[in-house]
Amino acid sequence: MTDRGLRISDLHVDVAGNHILKGIDLYVEPGRVHALMGPNGSGKSTLAFALTGHPNYRVVSGSATLDGEDLFALPPDKRARAGLFLSFQYPAAIPGVKVANFLHAARQAVRPGDLTPSKFRALLMEKLQTLDMDPAFLGRYLNDGFSGGEKKRLEMLQMAVIGPKYAILDETDSGLDVDALRAVGESVHALRASEEGNKTGFLIITHYPRILQHIEADAVHVMIDGRIVKEGAAELAHRIEREGYEGLREEIGQLA
Amino acid sequence: MPSAIALGAVPGHLQQSLSDLDRAIPIGGRDALLARAFELRSGREKPNRFWKIDLDAIDFAAVAPAIAPPPQIRMPDGRGVFACDLQTALRDHSELVARALGTAVDRGGSKFAALASALCNTGAFVYVQADAAPGGPVEIAYDAGGALFPYTLVLLERGAECTVVERMHGQSGAFVAGVSEVVAEEGARATYAALQNLPEDARALFTRGARPGKDASCRWCVADLGASLTVETIETAVRSRGAQAEVTVLFFPTGGQHVDVISTVSHEVGESQSRTLVKSAAAGQGQARYLGNIRIAPHAQATDAALRDDALLLSKRAHIDSVPALEIAANDVKAYHGATVGALDEEQIFYMTSRGIERQQAETMIALGFFEPAIEHFPANALREEVRAALRAKVNA
Repeated sequence: MTDRGLRISDLHVDVAGNHILKGIDLYVEPGRVHALMGPNGSGKSTLAFALTGHPNYRVVSGSATLDGEDLFALPPDKRARAGLFLSFQYPAAIPGVKVANFLHAARQAVRPGDLTPSKFRALLMEKLQTLDMDPAFLGRYLNDGFSGGEKKRLEMLQMAVIGPKYAILDETDSGLDVDALRAVGESVHALRASEEGNKTGFLIITHYPRILQHIEADAVHVMIDGRIVKEGAAELAHRIEREGYEGLREEIGQLA
Repeated sequence: MPSAIALGAVPGHLQQSLSDLDRAIPIGGRDALLARAFELRSGREKPNRFWKIDLDAIDFAAVAPAIAPPPQIRMPDGRGVFACDLQTALRDHSELVARALGTAVDRGGSKFAALASALCNTGAFVYVQADAAPGGPVEIAYDAGGALFPYTLVLLERGAECTVVERMHGQSGAFVAGVSEVVAEEGARATYAALQNLPEDARALFTRGARPGKDASCRWCVADLGASLTVETIETAVRSRGAQAEVTVLFFPTGGQHVDVISTVSHEVGESQSRTLVKSAAAGQGQARYLGNIRIAPHAQATDAALRDDALLLSKRAHIDSVPALEIAANDVKAYHGATVGALDEEQIFYMTSRGIERQQAETMIALGFFEPAIEHFPANALREEVRAALRAKVNA
């Protein structure tokens, strides 16, 4: 029987010669929402990039499997085809590549030939409506001249169109106003409610708990200085909201 | 400068071909122009290994100019427009031809213009009456056999509007030296698009000139994709108020191709506008050189000129030299220039591959996307698709 889930074991990662992740163990279950919280610089985004295969992030030791498949044996495109998706904190702008063409290429890559062009078009229109996005988006160049909020909406649109097995949202909430934040929450709910996404496991990276007012977490993991220092239920996020990370640091300090 | 560079030696067989050529296409002035071609320096002898083209490097013994077949011409429906081969135009509409010929291109002003004009062995003439606006483009297709010296002349009368699409194809080993000349009288709007996709062992020298009248606009959209050696000179002389010039050029040397492009917009009067956009990529051992001139004369106040030039290097041995050159002598003008040279961006590639797209497909999409802002300036969807397909074939080669 295959090992379901996104399973990360004793992961150590270097960036530019600096040891950032110092032994991460994390298990994201299918169909569940995991929040990964922690102050700036704790290594949350490093985990996201190491899992998706960014060339600047060097895996020193440890493993990551997606439904039993060894992620680190695969190049980034094959990780995506295995079902992994990252919503970028700072998505790259690619002038000259239209959003519609990009979405089509991505869908074709991850789910080859599953939709006729007209059905793909219909899917796009449906997802745009769900996300309350203007169809004019499709004719624009990818992230080129997009506002911060527009970029995040486009990340959510990509997630909806691709329908990944595991989605990592790297600070998708940062810099968003209340409406955009609600849209992010709704897009996660919409994916979970869809046929393609009802088993999707989410890893929602944030340093600020307010996104969790829109997406209820099943589990909360707290990362400080490249280690998971605390895990718990949704209540842990509320505690961080009240006390900040300082309270946790003190508690860990006492334990150590 | 030593005079011993041995300019001025006109090959005898070229000289002897002139009377036959002029009997068929009586364009005139051939003797003087041919002498001029061999007396002028190309202006490209500067000491730089990528600045390599000169007439001295061309083996004229292999160039035998004889009358070539006329181009295929397709005309749009609508009144007030006609297009025909140059031979017919000189016979039936000589006054119209005389009104435009040599008024936007200084035929004796540069080596290659003089050569092409002197040896002109085919050509086309497009004429649009005042205020006429044909529903589609005039399409002119040249098929270069051996040596082709095409002269394409376009005259738009006051208030007329027209798009001309020139396609340059040919046989292996073709040698092409051509002129495109566009005259847009007051308030007229001319677009001239040229797609050069000659075989990879052909050579192509183009001189193009436009003259927009008062409140008129001239738009160039040029794609140089074929030929082992291309030299492209595009000049727009703005001598009337309210005139607009737009120059869009894209080129993409791959394999062992070399492309040399000079664009010049001269603002000689004020209250005029120009936009120059150049997108180039090079792969394999492709070499290119671009010189972008914007000149604003001392009295040309309230001129608004912009030049943007981006180069993309797709291999370590590819090379693009890019030189924007702005000479601004007026003090109340808007002039902008920006130039970039770079390789494919790893962050862009990672972003696309993280969506499941294979690396090679991602690179192709990004490289084609790089050209897209220039392609969008080209007229007609069919032509844009043609340009995209030609670029795609080169990226994937």
